Amino acid sequence: MKRLATLAVAAVTVAIFGKAALAAAPADTLAEVKKKGVLVAGVKDSLPPFGYVDEKSREIVGYDIDFIHAIAKKLGVKVELKPVTSASRMPQLQEGNIDIIAATMTKNPERAKQIDFSHTYFFTGQKFITKKGTVKSVKDLEGKKIGTAKGSTSEQNVKKALPTATVLSFDDYPQAFLALQQGKVQAVTTDEAILAGILAKAPNKAQFEIPSVQISDEPYGLGMRKGDKHFVDFVNKTILEMEKSGEAKKIFEKWFGPSTPFHLKRTFKITAEK
Amino acid sequence: MLKYQFDWSVVTSGKYFDWLVSGVVVTIKLSTVSIALAFLLGLIIAVMRMSHVRPIRWFALAYLEFFRNTPLLVQIFFWYFGSYKILPPVVNDWLNSTSFEFAAAVIALTIYTSAFIAEDIRSGVLSIPKEQMEAARSSGFSYLQAMQYIILPQAVRLTVPPLVNQFLNVAKNSSLAMTIGVAELTYQARQVESYTFKGFEAFTAATLVYLVLSVIITALVHLYDKRVLNPQRA
Repeated sequence: MKRLATLAVAAVTVAIFGKAALAAAPADTLAEVKKKGVLVAGVKDSLPPFGYVDEKSREIVGYDIDFIHAIAKKLGVKVELKPVTSASRMPQLQEGNIDIIAATMTKNPERAKQIDFSHTYFFTGQKFITKKGTVKSVKDLEGKKIGTAKGSTSEQNVKKALPTATVLSFDDYPQAFLALQQGKVQAVTTDEAILAGILAKAPNKAQFEIPSVQISDEPYGLGMRKGDKHFVDFVNKTILEMEKSGEAKKIFEKWFGPSTPFHLKRTFKITAEK
Repeated sequence: MLKYQFDWSVVTSGKYFDWLVSGVVVTIKLSTVSIALAFLLGLIIAVMRMSHVRPIRWFALAYLEFFRNTPLLVQIFFWYFGSYKILPPVVNDWLNSTSFEFAAAVIALTIYTSAFIAEDIRSGVLSIPKEQMEAARSSGFSYLQAMQYIILPQAVRLTVPPLVNQFLNVAKNSSLAMTIGVAELTYQARQVESYTFKGFEAFTAATLVYLVLSVIITALVHLYDKRVLNPQRA
């Protein structure tokens, strides 16, 4: 019995430290990705038009995905897409399960302490979806129930902007929107571009609207491991070139332009920051 | 070997500590209400399961098999999102004006756990010699009276150890309520993680609280068992 216990302790120790050793993610992702010939990206898979499963091809497509393909093409490697959630994407990156995050991730100082961001590749602001005609200003939402997704900046922003509101956090935005449709929350809040995507897909969209009430700016960046300088530089260079060549604009028009249900205007350009 | 910088202060003081405490309170409320209701419902279902009236027995059997054999998470979603479709609008409006997410979690936990408790109690009843029921009936007790005064008091005593298991399961399963936005302990730990990125600390704290909670539940039931139910064992 005693021997069995010793064995068990040994096994657990190996498991814990073995994991820790594995968790030491590559320091130079650029070289590593070239060596293994594949870029592993953490993306959203239920968030049109940023990342979602295309009904015909059964593959994950979207605005975020096109950027990943462009970067992989420049590197001359294949792409592997791994679905992540708002809460899981940073741990996944830090543990080395993915090489880059392209999952509608807002750049903010707290996150920048943990990971490095590329230049802003998409710019939006946080708004609300509500039943038509119920909300004219932020005031109308005071004391109400508001749905959003766990681990997102939207959750933190809305708590700041509306301290009296009850924030209900769901696993993802479609679930939060379901709660809105059923009257369980009075509004769903997140970035306008995501809301537009949810609304475009909704079967009874005529009942809902996105009032022009904005509570924050949301610049999106691609996330990479902290201190992974070669890779960050490479990604930044690539997306700046995409801006220059017009490819970035083309991707925006493809997913958000007049031929889509979103009709968003491109109010930003990818520029070198700092 | 580990590059991780531990920072326990995030979970021992300040606003994140307050979040965790509020999560503990919700977890305790959710667990105690669900345990109490699940025990009562479990008793009822167990008696129905052993009834001599066939439709009642069949109903209990269907109930048991249905709720024991579907995942709790699915049941939580069913009560929270699914019930909307079958309830009249008036009821939905009323539910939505309350904290329905808490109620839905209680309903799901109660029903799910009551199925297991009913089976535990039934096994306790089966271990009571059937002559006792016969003696009670021939002394003029009705079936329900015999159950209430003779059989169940003995059966529940025998069922204490498996019941402790079920109570512990409720306390732990209550963490699934986070999926519908109930701000219980796991939800709050996850919140702390997403604000501070100190997931290890936050979940360690949550783990310790669940552990303490479980030990307290076990101790309370055993105390009750020794003092009230089975004083001769002590």
